Amino acid sequence: MTAFNATRRRFLVGAGAVGAGALLSGCVTQSPSASGGKSGGPVTLQSNLSSPQAKTAMQAIVAAFDERGDAKAELNTVASETFRTQLPTYLTSANPPDVYTWYPGSVAESYAKKDLLLGLDDIWEKPELSGYSDALKKLCTSASSGKKVFVPTSYYWWGMFYRKSNFSKWGVQEPKTWDEFLDLCDKLKSKGVAPIGLGAGGDTPWVASAWFDYLDIRVNGATYHRELLAGKHRFDDPEVRKVFDKWDEARPYFDPNGTAIPFQDATTALLQGRTGMMLIGTFFADAAPKDALGDLDFFQFPIIDPKVPVAEEAPTDGYFASARTKRADDVKELLRYLATAEAQELYLKSSSGTTLPTHPDAKDAGTPLVLKGRKVIEGAADLTQFFNRDSSDALQPTADTALVHYLAKPKEIGSILTTWQRSAQKIWSQ
Amino acid sequence: MVLIGSARRSRATRVPPVVLAFVLVPLLAEVFWVFWPALQGFYLSLTSWDGLAAPKFVGLGNFSEMLHDAVFRTAAINTVLWLLLFGGLSAALGLGAALLLQQERRGIGFYRAALFLPVVFSLVATALVWQAMYQPDGLINNVLESVGLGGWKHAWLADQDTAFYAVIVPALWRQVGYVMVLYLAGLKGIDPALYEAAKVDGATRLQQFRHITLPQLRSVNAVVLSVIVIDSLRSFDVVWALTRGGPYHSSELLSTYMYSTAFQSLRLGYGSALAVVIFVLAFGVIVSYLVRAFREAD
Repeated sequence: MTAFNATRRRFLVGAGAVGAGALLSGCVTQSPSASGGKSGGPVTLQSNLSSPQAKTAMQAIVAAFDERGDAKAELNTVASETFRTQLPTYLTSANPPDVYTWYPGSVAESYAKKDLLLGLDDIWEKPELSGYSDALKKLCTSASSGKKVFVPTSYYWWGMFYRKSNFSKWGVQEPKTWDEFLDLCDKLKSKGVAPIGLGAGGDTPWVASAWFDYLDIRVNGATYHRELLAGKHRFDDPEVRKVFDKWDEARPYFDPNGTAIPFQDATTALLQGRTGMMLIGTFFADAAPKDALGDLDFFQFPIIDPKVPVAEEAPTDGYFASARTKRADDVKELLRYLATAEAQELYLKSSSGTTLPTHPDAKDAGTPLVLKGRKVIEGAADLTQFFNRDSSDALQPTADTALVHYLAKPKEIGSILTTWQRSAQKIWSQ
Repeated sequence: MVLIGSARRSRATRVPPVVLAFVLVPLLAEVFWVFWPALQGFYLSLTSWDGLAAPKFVGLGNFSEMLHDAVFRTAAINTVLWLLLFGGLSAALGLGAALLLQQERRGIGFYRAALFLPVVFSLVATALVWQAMYQPDGLINNVLESVGLGGWKHAWLADQDTAFYAVIVPALWRQVGYVMVLYLAGLKGIDPALYEAAKVDGATRLQQFRHITLPQLRSVNAVVLSVIVIDSLRSFDVVWALTRGGPYHSSELLSTYMYSTAFQSLRLGYGSALAVVIFVLAFGVIVSYLVRAFREAD
């Protein structure tokens, strides 16, 4: 009842606002000082970065952009889940927001294929973006049109995070291989610590996909992984089964609350030393207390098969723009600014500083953690994004169900994979 | 009578434009914002649509897919179970609470207010509170531990055997107070002389309840039942906030399944088909009940 009432009320308020907006814009067009050429108003930047630190960082960037003169931007922060579900609606509406925070690769491609994204080839020629790495250039180019559609601004890495002080207290070291990793788990378990934290409960079941991704790229390689997520292999293939055979070896060491708590709580458990380590992206540090940041360290996901080229998960974040924007010039101005070293350093300074800027000249936070992260990424033979970014948001819920089911009922893996394939098939076939 | 009737008839032939506007304008708004989208929903249920490209017409394909969809079956069974458990328990507990709290005694207002209090929270806020209680190291597990029932400790929302029932509890917690208030109002309307007469005849408390209270509450029952049926078919927020229909669809209702297929998997055609099923169910149950209730009243 409440939800429906609230939406109705919000709708009325919204309708009122639209009406008022129409009146106001009517006034604006009548006034003689309307800026010529451009269709008026600031560029709307729709952002899903709603954690307090990231939001402050975004505000700082927009303020700096506004100060440069010429074009103006307006930040509109939307809760992540709402943003994700509304994005198709935004992009297909007649009067969409102009610029969006989002992901490159297959996620952007699904919109680019339908001509919903603004072509950005011209700004990629400009100095701000011309020095970007070839890998990024490829990642931001639409496969269907050959046009660049995305401006990447930062990326981060996934790793097995732990607290240095805890590891030295327990007298253990970073493992390199899968066997060393299992030994480490054994040791931690004997000390009464849950060796591996997870955090796939609550509304973050997608965290479990990191384990699937990493085991798959370590066992079958990144190429196979990408093909699997694109529907060129089946989830009930023997190769995928091998992934779960490896997972079976590590599963007894998982925190029994792994699927009951969201990753934020799992992070707290890690920081408090109730769990030993956790496979997670650096974004979790946004919520970590400042004094714990210096104590954090990570190691690369252990190598399982030395013959498989080493790939790492390094999701890239950035921006794309709607093809229906009425202020294309201003939009490109803003995107060019976001691509500069200046803007990226500004963002890093205001956020927790654990992401890496994409501009080759931009300085990262320079902490030992970030240096180590950068080295791991740069040493990788191949980079993957993340399950939903290499496949699609629509496929993610199928993985969530399958993996959470597997963790609870590992013996049913055969039927779980069959079901997974069946539900994935429905997504691919539409 | 005749005079009034004829006067009304003559006025009806010339409806003042203001009155006409008062009827037509809201009707137009209703058609535009309610009926038109509803009809579009029906149309979408016959298509396959990802929200981006143009919808593809697939006839009754979505509905025939439902027949073989195991998750749909789980969701449908859960919805029926929810209707029975949530509906039955909230009616029974609400009536029980009303009977307990109907007499005017000192401090009774406090108990009534305490039972009614959850109603004023939004369901999402309710869900958040209960989520904290159900946490592995939350209140419920801590209490179990401290009274020596540590073996009963459970990841309530993460276990497919308990998730569904764990989700019903907050919904009930909230609904009982509401139903109680409806029944309290009904009980207040019963003529005390009936009870006095029954006492003179030597009727026991149980007999009084069976032969006076229940029949007198018939009209309230109709209201309570419609409210409960509508509320339980509409139950979405509490489930979504607590489990999102998981773990692996064990607490899935038709409404949560509809939301996740439509807005997470972006299969809007199939989601619309599910919405049509919910609509037909709700409409069927309510209409058949109301028809029966009014026939009895006549």
